[in-house]
Amino acid sequence: MKAFGNQSSTLPSTSSVADAIATSGLWQVFGAGAQEALAEQLKTGAASGDVASALQDRGLIPAVQDATFNVAPGELFVIMGLSGSGKSTLVRCISRLVEPTAGEVMIGGENILTASKKRMIEMRRNTLGMVFQHFGLFPHMSVIDNVAFPLKMNGVKPAARKARAAEVISMVGLEGREDAFPRELSGGQRQRVGIARSLAGNCDVWFLDEPFSALDPLIRRQLQDEFLNIQEKLKTSIVFITHDIAEALKLADRIAIMRDGRIVQIGTPTEIVLNPVDDYVREFSRDIPKGRHMTLAEVMEPFDGADATGPTLSTAMSLEAALADCAMTLDPVAVRDGDGKVVGQVRPEIFAKALARAE
Amino acid sequence: MSATDTISSPRSYHVTSAASAGLITLLIGVVCLVLEPIAPWLVKWPAAWSLPLAAWIGEGLGAFLNFIKPTMRVLSWLLEFPMGWANWVLNATPWPLLIALVTALGWLLGGLRMAALGALGLGFVLGTGYWSEGMNTLALVFVSVPLALLLGTGIGLLAYEVPRVKNAVQAVLDIMQTVPTFAYLTPLLLLFGFGPVVGLIASAIYAAPPMARNVLLGLERVDAEIKEAAVMSGGTRTQQLFLVELPAAGTQVMIGVNQCLMAALSMVIIAAVIGGFNDIGWEVLLTMRKAQFGQSVMAGLVIVVFAIVIDRYSGTLALARKSYDKRIAYGLIAVGVVASVVTWGQVSNTAGFAIFDGAAQVVDDAVGAFTASNGASLDQVKNGAMFYVLLPLRIGLDEAILPFTWGFQWTAAYSGIFFAATAAICVAVALSGRVALAAVLGCLAILLETGVSQLPWPFVLVGVGAIGYVSGGWKLTRLVMILLACVLISGLWERALLSLYLSGAAVLTCAVFGGLLGLWAAVSTTAWRIIRPICDMLQTIPLFVFLIPVLMFFQIGEFSAFLAIIAYAIVPMIRYTRAGIATTPPDLMEAAEATGATYWQTMWEVRVPYAAPTILLGLNQTILYAFSMLVIAALIGTTGLGQSIYIALGQADVGLGVAAGAAMAILALIADRLVQGFAEERRKALGL
Ligand SMILES: Nc1ncnc2c1ncn2[C@@H]1O[C@H](COP(=O)(O)OP(=O)(O)OP(=O)(O)O)[C@@H](O)[C@H]1O
Ligand SMILES: [Mg+2]
Repeated sequence: MKAFGNQSSTLPSTSSVADAIATSGLWQVFGAGAQEALAEQLKTGAASGDVASALQDRGLIPAVQDATFNVAPGELFVIMGLSGSGKSTLVRCISRLVEPTAGEVMIGGENILTASKKRMIEMRRNTLGMVFQHFGLFPHMSVIDNVAFPLKMNGVKPAARKARAAEVISMVGLEGREDAFPRELSGGQRQRVGIARSLAGNCDVWFLDEPFSALDPLIRRQLQDEFLNIQEKLKTSIVFITHDIAEALKLADRIAIMRDGRIVQIGTPTEIVLNPVDDYVREFSRDIPKGRHMTLAEVMEPFDGADATGPTLSTAMSLEAALADCAMTLDPVAVRDGDGKVVGQVRPEIFAKALARAE
Repeated sequence: MSATDTISSPRSYHVTSAASAGLITLLIGVVCLVLEPIAPWLVKWPAAWSLPLAAWIGEGLGAFLNFIKPTMRVLSWLLEFPMGWANWVLNATPWPLLIALVTALGWLLGGLRMAALGALGLGFVLGTGYWSEGMNTLALVFVSVPLALLLGTGIGLLAYEVPRVKNAVQAVLDIMQTVPTFAYLTPLLLLFGFGPVVGLIASAIYAAPPMARNVLLGLERVDAEIKEAAVMSGGTRTQQLFLVELPAAGTQVMIGVNQCLMAALSMVIIAAVIGGFNDIGWEVLLTMRKAQFGQSVMAGLVIVVFAIVIDRYSGTLALARKSYDKRIAYGLIAVGVVASVVTWGQVSNTAGFAIFDGAAQVVDDAVGAFTASNGASLDQVKNGAMFYVLLPLRIGLDEAILPFTWGFQWTAAYSGIFFAATAAICVAVALSGRVALAAVLGCLAILLETGVSQLPWPFVLVGVGAIGYVSGGWKLTRLVMILLACVLISGLWERALLSLYLSGAAVLTCAVFGGLLGLWAAVSTTAWRIIRPICDMLQTIPLFVFLIPVLMFFQIGEFSAFLAIIAYAIVPMIRYTRAGIATTPPDLMEAAEATGATYWQTMWEVRVPYAAPTILLGLNQTILYAFSMLVIAALIGTTGLGQSIYIALGQADVGLGVAAGAAMAILALIADRLVQGFAEERRKALGL
């Protein structure tokens, strides 16, 4: 996933029918009379920031402001931001758990905001899956009943849904606990149930709202790895919320950073780390070792033909890895592209400068 | 300079507003009393000014009830079937089998403890010889409870699903809670005629609100993510509601079931006053009237046993339950079947097993002996309380102080001295800066002199308005004054004041003693260990049963009613006071200790103020409890609205019954809003 993801910044960012999710001008404003107030403000044609502050002055809460982005099929799109920045609200808008105040949401090319109730139910049964921050397990059902619930809603026969539920339960590594109740499980196990439940219906679009935040770091890492494995197999399109930059960098193809309801930057992990648009975004990646996210392609200088031997460096290599390989040499080292052609060179000063700039 | 002005002005404004509210009240009281000789209407609301509200309600409601009567008669006819079946099943089932079934159920619900409770409880019922009366009562409960559950769940779901009606529904539920139990019965009596159906329907109506409340509360409290998970699973609204939200609200719903059962039982017992159904409540009433206290104690205990078994059984539903071995339950039932077969022929004659029959006699003898030897001191207690406390409170010092009780006659001269002294104290207090306190003292003096039942009506009206103003601002003032004015013009004013006096006296006593007991329970775990089961017990016992012991020792009269009210209404005061004080955050206490406060300084300066909102809520509950008991106490001789409701029931006078019930509900509502207002204000002041 990761290798594919790093190239995904080259994906077209304009909306197309093929997009798994495409939103444009999405607003969610809480408070009485939000709809009218927003419509009135938008008519003035003011910038979205001004609209938001005008709404705020009227005591309304613009939790999501003018969100426009798209998620390609199979892409793992991470939304990041501080607590209260509107991440959950945004995802609830896309899944239509709350009715957006304005804007458009297309899922698989279909405008879901105009979909009928019946169509919504159908989409939720067949297309959408969601994992919740606090698991949202049904307390009165056993693990297997929880997992089979979406299938039951879909009218699957008991035997068939039991078989399918058992299948996804083993996929998340919970075999043997089928008859346990949520209260008898640990946090990590509960979230596995949540994941299994959202997978049971074979969804194409998968929403995960801080699925691992409530877990301790060890379990979190384990679940992240398993999650990537599952994603590898299923190739669903994913919107993943987190406020943990390490998690975002580990999982994401692209990351959207939210601040006070606005998406301030969308980009690949590398772009986010190396070219933050403002201090807010920079602050997120402050403690991230930059060498790990900068590739040689971004720092190398033109090859001056001095010496093409020495360690083999490639453009996709991270600064950190390259440093380990050629820390001993003081001479320029050639950098080759994917085909083995020499396209540039690096010198120790370049490493030093690049790392200093990133900090 | 302007800065200090703006800072200090809200505070001084607040003080003067409370004080001026008090002063206006005082002024009106003084004016009324001074002008009484020339304008008696200033004190006593002239009958000619009253609107015949009761009659109007009677006519209007009567017409309406007559209109729906045919439909209702069909309903009542329909209800007689399940009632007949339940009655037949319970009475025809051999008692060994029934006891075995109940024991088995207890085992499944809560293991050995519940099984033993059920077996002992029903064994006791059998032993008293009231088996068949008991079964008649249970039959009513078992038919009314499903109705109440359905009705309550329906109302709860409606309020939850249609947010627009939620506030209205909650207001109706609030009012239903304050309408006294007897008041339900009169209109039903008109609709259904005398008979058990009235009790059945009354109890279904009365027991539905707690269910509705708990269903609504439970649904609202279901975690938002659980609801969203149901949505995202693709459930239809109905599926979400019945497969996820309602089951997820299970615990709260089960609390509702428990409360619903208890309310139904309580109402079924109360409905016995209508008579016509040979149930256990009727037995209590009958034996009480005949002063066969031994018998009424036994019958009362049967009710208590039912209440406890039903309460504890259904209480386990709301707990996380273990599952118990089903084979033991089957075994118990098998034993019951065998025992039924073996004793066939005798089982229908339950009277033969009334092994406690002698107990009634023993109780009678013991009570007789006790009253014979201690009658004088009992009378002394009663008379002391009556002559020195209750009577002065009711009719004032000027009429209560008579030579043959107090040893002297209260004359106008005494009144003069009394008022002069009060005035002097008030002025002194006012000069020391506490104007509001001075006003309150002045008002209390007026109250003492004239007595609650003869207070000038403008004084009461304005006084309640003033309290409303201090407690919740103009809006509350307006509300309580309009409500009170309704009672005033209804012609029920005097009776309302009488009710106010008795419940006021009881509430005051409860506040003092309940508060102290709660404080004690908060500081001593041993005390709480003793007090708690007593509180649990008192809250389980149906209202009706409280009358038996007080009657036994103090005969019919206001003092007995007073005691019964206290016994019932003191519980919330104890509980809330204890809860409030015992749950003070430890860091607050540590902070106080760190500043060098002693234990009792911490108590008075930190813990009690912190607990004040909770204690006020307890007081609120106590007031509502007192009002509901007040009406029941009408059975043993109180005057006031309760008596009117009771009389109306006897005469099937819908107008009077409903008007008096409404007046009672209004008084309860006013008290509720005033106390809630203070509690709210305290909470805000504490930043909670
Ligand atoms: N139903 C609602 N009514 C009013 N305001 C809301 C509602 N839901 C969310 N908000 C507000 O919208 C803003 C964004 O909330 P949201 O839950 O989306 O934040 P978040 O980024 O998910 O935060 P967290 O990381 O804590 O989950 C907050 O200011 C919140 O108070
Ligand atoms: Mg969130």
